[in-house]
Amino acid sequence: MNPGLKLLLVMAIALEISFTQSLIVNIILVVVSFGYILIQRVSLKALLGLIFWPLFPAIGLFVSQWLYGSAGIHFAWILFTRIYAYVFLGATFTLTSSITDLALTLEQDFRLPSKFAYGVLAAFNLMPKINEEVKIIKTSALMRGEALHFWSPKLYFKAILSSIQWSQNLAEAMTSHGFVEDQERTHYRVIKITGLDWFWFIGLFACVQGLLFFIRY
Amino acid sequence: MTDVSINHFTYEYPKSNVKVLNDVDITFKHNHFSLLTGPSGSGKSTLLYFIAGLYPHFIGNDALGGIKFGDTDINQIPRNQVSHSVAMMFQNPNQQFAMDTVIHEMTFVLENMLVDPAKMDDIINHALAFCGIDKLRSRIINTLSGGEKQRVALACIVAMDPPVIVLDEPFASIDPDSRLDLIKKLKLLQQDHDKTIILADHDLNDYQGVIDEFYYLDPDSHRISLLDSQSAQHFFDNFKTTQTINKRIAIPTDDAPAIININDFKLQPHHSLLLKLNQFKFYQGKTTLITGANGIGKSTLFNALTKLLPYDGSIEYDGKNIQKIRPLPYAKNVTLLFQDAENQFLNITVKEELDLSLQNRTNQAYSTDDVQAMLQKLNMAGRDEQVVYSLSEGQKKKLQIIEMLIMNPPVLLLDEPFKGLDYRSLEVVVGFLRRAKESFNQTQIIISHQLSGLDTLIDYHANFADQNLTYQEVIK
Repeated sequence: MNPGLKLLLVMAIALEISFTQSLIVNIILVVVSFGYILIQRVSLKALLGLIFWPLFPAIGLFVSQWLYGSAGIHFAWILFTRIYAYVFLGATFTLTSSITDLALTLEQDFRLPSKFAYGVLAAFNLMPKINEEVKIIKTSALMRGEALHFWSPKLYFKAILSSIQWSQNLAEAMTSHGFVEDQERTHYRVIKITGLDWFWFIGLFACVQGLLFFIRY
Repeated sequence: MTDVSINHFTYEYPKSNVKVLNDVDITFKHNHFSLLTGPSGSGKSTLLYFIAGLYPHFIGNDALGGIKFGDTDINQIPRNQVSHSVAMMFQNPNQQFAMDTVIHEMTFVLENMLVDPAKMDDIINHALAFCGIDKLRSRIINTLSGGEKQRVALACIVAMDPPVIVLDEPFASIDPDSRLDLIKKLKLLQQDHDKTIILADHDLNDYQGVIDEFYYLDPDSHRISLLDSQSAQHFFDNFKTTQTINKRIAIPTDDAPAIININDFKLQPHHSLLLKLNQFKFYQGKTTLITGANGIGKSTLFNALTKLLPYDGSIEYDGKNIQKIRPLPYAKNVTLLFQDAENQFLNITVKEELDLSLQNRTNQAYSTDDVQAMLQKLNMAGRDEQVVYSLSEGQKKKLQIIEMLIMNPPVLLLDEPFKGLDYRSLEVVVGFLRRAKESFNQTQIIISHQLSGLDTLIDYHANFADQNLTYQEVIK
């Protein structure tokens, strides 16, 4: 499915379940998303992470609603499953779509200004560098006699400075590679939204509407 | 014909009245290979950024005078046409790509230039083949070595096919083989493809017989002059005499006191073995030079020594396993001078940076007068309020060296400390390092491709090759 439409669908459904209260629909969404992720052959580690990390906020919400809330245990379960529905819906997008494809479709089909599409893409490609950079900043600070912790403003100041510097260099590099804001470009890979994409988008969205309408528990 | 003519060009940085370029009036001739040289920080990059059309857009204030491509003033060229006239290769290989893979970057470039998608495959294949990097086509750019990244940068330029190519110290951090290869490719572009090449470099290796014109930017007058062949020859000869270490270097004896002991050591990041040592020692109060081709793992060894990277086996500092020493005390004892000077900076202005070192140092080896004298000798005095990130690469390096010397750690690891420094500054820095060793008994381990001028500093030489590190008498 077209990554842009997929993102739109995921966001629309996530928004909807924030305002509706159906335990069963939440569970259906989790199961269907989970099934979809399984078919796409995602690594086991990522899968276990998806199940493990949301446990903390989910249990937190569940316990506080169950023990201190006024709406009872049913609502607590809704909150619990809602967290997982968010996470798995999000994962159907993040784990199975390429960010490059998303940028291409946003530029070509959704008429997003190309500077956003490629700016975001370039920033995304810098992400692995940010982790390395933080470690280097910490070690280098130690060598200058300063211990920076994750709450130290200097660490963030330095990381932000690095990113400003990077973004300046990147902007210069993109310009020297012929990129000019708001100018026409050709496209080597044309990404079109196909009839099939629309079929899935509308079909799945309608399904969720139907489920939410008929299943109120 | 695309002569690049610079007409009475004068530029000063915003909020400063020091002229970086003063009434520069020269013409880089069409279809010539022009080399622009001069000390670091003298303004070579600034001029190139203007020629490439990046300044004034990215710097804020314009220069006086003009730049013309043939008869066309650069300001008359629409912004979306600039890259059809000129392309630029940057000094830092890491920050010139927007996309993830080589092929994506190249299509990105061609899309920007409104090339018909049907023709892209041919253009890309040709550019990759020309640069000899067909195999890198689908690789992720972040995983390439510096030399490979610069080859990709050249491939992008070949694909763009502009008449003028400017290069800003493009070989500053790549190995000698890549450097020679890239210079040959540039010559080929000039001769067979009619390109005008303008290249700034302070390292004159491999250019003799290749370049057509030799320009020198005088750091005092901030003017550029075209040298005749005799003066150019003089520069080359001068440079050559300073490019080798002719002295035989001693092999350390067994009874010399060691400060770092490496045992049963294996370094294999990403599961590829870089270095395997049964036993190796670095000696106390000595300067050890590590040589070896780029990308072979020298910097990675430093990362292991500073606990930035995991390794197998043991490293002992002063008889104690470094994993058992807490991070802060260890970092104060075994300190790395990062290859990228910016990594070392924690504050904003030059003064704040120096004050931080003065405040956190563990000993008082250098007086404030010493510090002032050091700044003076490296032309860094009077820059107290300047933002460190606005310094030139050479100036950043000088500041970094001074602030790490002030910390005066017992062991100082230096990763390409002379990168971006002109020869005169290098000699000054070598003097500082000798003082640190002779007066304060500092142990120094240096990775450097730049060998000239180091003979009075180096005590031992370790060669890194074939996943091994061995002490050698001769430096080749």
